[in-house]
Amino acid sequence: MAVEVDHGAGVAIRGQAPPAYSPVSLRWVWPAGLFLFAFFLAPLVEIGLRSFEPSRGAEEVYWLVQYDRLLLDSFYLGVIGETIGLSLVTTIVSILIGYPVAYFLVRHAGRWHGMIIFLLIAPLLTSIIMRTYGWQVLLARRGLINETLIDLGVIDTPMRWLNSPEAIVIGLVHVLVPFMVLSIAAVLQGIDTSLEESARSLGAGRLRTFWRVTLPLSLDGVGTGAILVFMLANGSFVTLLLLGGGSLQTLPLLIFQQFNTTRDFAFAAAMSNVLLVLAIACLYLQLRLIKRRGVVG
Amino acid sequence: MGKTSRRHVLKGAAGLGLLSLAPLQQLRAQTSEITVTSFGGIWEEAIRDIFVAEFTKRTGVEAEIQIGGPAQWMSQIEANLDSPPIDVLVNTIDLALIAGETGLVEKIRADKVPNLAKIPDRFTDVVEGWGTCFDYGAAGLAYNRERLPNPPKSFVEFVDRCAAGDFVASLPSISYSPTPQILIWSFADVFGGSVDDVGPAFDAIKKMGDNAIFYSSVTEFLNHLASGEADIGIYWDGRTWAYYDSGQTWIDFINPSEGSVMNPVVVQKVVNTPDVAWDYIDVMLAAAPQTRFAEVLNYGVTNVDVVYPPELAKRITPWEATRWPPFKQIGAMIPKWVDRWNREIGA
Repeated sequence: MAVEVDHGAGVAIRGQAPPAYSPVSLRWVWPAGLFLFAFFLAPLVEIGLRSFEPSRGAEEVYWLVQYDRLLLDSFYLGVIGETIGLSLVTTIVSILIGYPVAYFLVRHAGRWHGMIIFLLIAPLLTSIIMRTYGWQVLLARRGLINETLIDLGVIDTPMRWLNSPEAIVIGLVHVLVPFMVLSIAAVLQGIDTSLEESARSLGAGRLRTFWRVTLPLSLDGVGTGAILVFMLANGSFVTLLLLGGGSLQTLPLLIFQQFNTTRDFAFAAAMSNVLLVLAIACLYLQLRLIKRRGVVG
Repeated sequence: MGKTSRRHVLKGAAGLGLLSLAPLQQLRAQTSEITVTSFGGIWEEAIRDIFVAEFTKRTGVEAEIQIGGPAQWMSQIEANLDSPPIDVLVNTIDLALIAGETGLVEKIRADKVPNLAKIPDRFTDVVEGWGTCFDYGAAGLAYNRERLPNPPKSFVEFVDRCAAGDFVASLPSISYSPTPQILIWSFADVFGGSVDDVGPAFDAIKKMGDNAIFYSSVTEFLNHLASGEADIGIYWDGRTWAYYDSGQTWIDFINPSEGSVMNPVVVQKVVNTPDVAWDYIDVMLAAAPQTRFAEVLNYGVTNVDVVYPPELAKRITPWEATRWPPFKQIGAMIPKWVDRWNREIGA
């Protein structure tokens, strides 16, 4: 019996009238499509239009004034650089921490596998603000780390851990590393261990086997995790506000400032668009990089 | 009875969806409810238990409280001016003036708000009649008296000793909306500058160097003091005493010799909202509710008939003894100051 797929009405049998109802009908896409239009595309267009308006009371009123401010001023270019730099560092540190954890989880955890997954996901159930405040308590001038180091005689006066780029990276990695671990673990799980065994039996050592077989085959997971972590770090705000103390200035912080302090919505809209374009460009570059390694696509 | 088909279900769902998009104002009108605004925490509790309760008792109308901040509320009103989602707006002075100039709020009317007669004119004039002030905070120096038994008595001493490394100070960051008044203008005023010349303020902040850290919310300041990250900082009198009353008896407050910075809170009626909103504002200006509000929040209130209990009177900074920033001029300067802050201070 010949069966063909009719995308409008589902599965139809040749020579018979198509059924009136099918669960695979494209009609079911409408609610999600409408939702996406109303709460993503329409606001995006609104933000796009607003970014071409002048600021309230501004002397210069030409349509690209906000983008000129952002892209021709060395200060704001520095902010854009810090935004990308922070996301890159967070992504690299997350890979360095996340890969060994994912490897252990898949290859050596055994009966602890479920427990480790739970421990990875459990922090995500807590508010990001609570987790960040936790770091404030640990890293404070009279916090647990400084007090312990002083008690042990390692330092005489409290060190300044908080309000630094390092504190921001620690906070972000803590929040984002589970995404990296789960992405890598999902791919590692699917690698046929007989490939590694073949390499070993052909004389490759553990390190070489990992470097030439396991790592290339798991790059897909690393790529997915990197994209997730990079994107989330790119738009992160609370961690920077609470742990950064102004030591780094990124676009999300300045966007918040335009809403909260200056009420310059046009400038905030231009910053949002630049942040979006940056994210898309970095996503494209990462995908290109992964594709070139022959892992995706 | 007809059979219920998938089409009927879909139509019903679509109808429900459309109903959910119906203007909220119409629904609120039917349920005799207005929406008022409040800052979070103890503020919201006081607004609900004192002003909203008294308003409902007087008028029979319920009031829903929306928690947040003035900039956010103004954006919500601006987005739907014909049918605003907020009836009574609590605001800071600089934004209250902008709200008036941009047509978001109405001029306050003595015929609609009888208790306005009990509010000194200065509190209405400062917002050019776009509402009036019902309470105020004073930004002075809050500190941990266990770690800092000999605190500075003036802003000048505060800056000098911080720069010398005597203590770590917590200052409001540019992300905290009152910072232009309570830090930039205040320091400019103290160190010989003015609203047109805030260079001395930036110099003073830079002079404090690494011994100054920054907070972006009222809670963060208290965390700085509690965790030992800072020993002293620029903060509100009322919130300091409220924290003290919560059992944190190590905290104390000083009104510096130059004078704390006045920061009144404005109440405004939003345009295109029902007249009963005036009744809510009248309750906010009445002596008895204001007295109870002051007792809960430890902030000064504006009705001249209010008599503070003796213990509270010792804590309240008299409004006549504070420094009043030129709010309107500051409002116009904020974008420039923020830009300069980002480039020179960065926090």
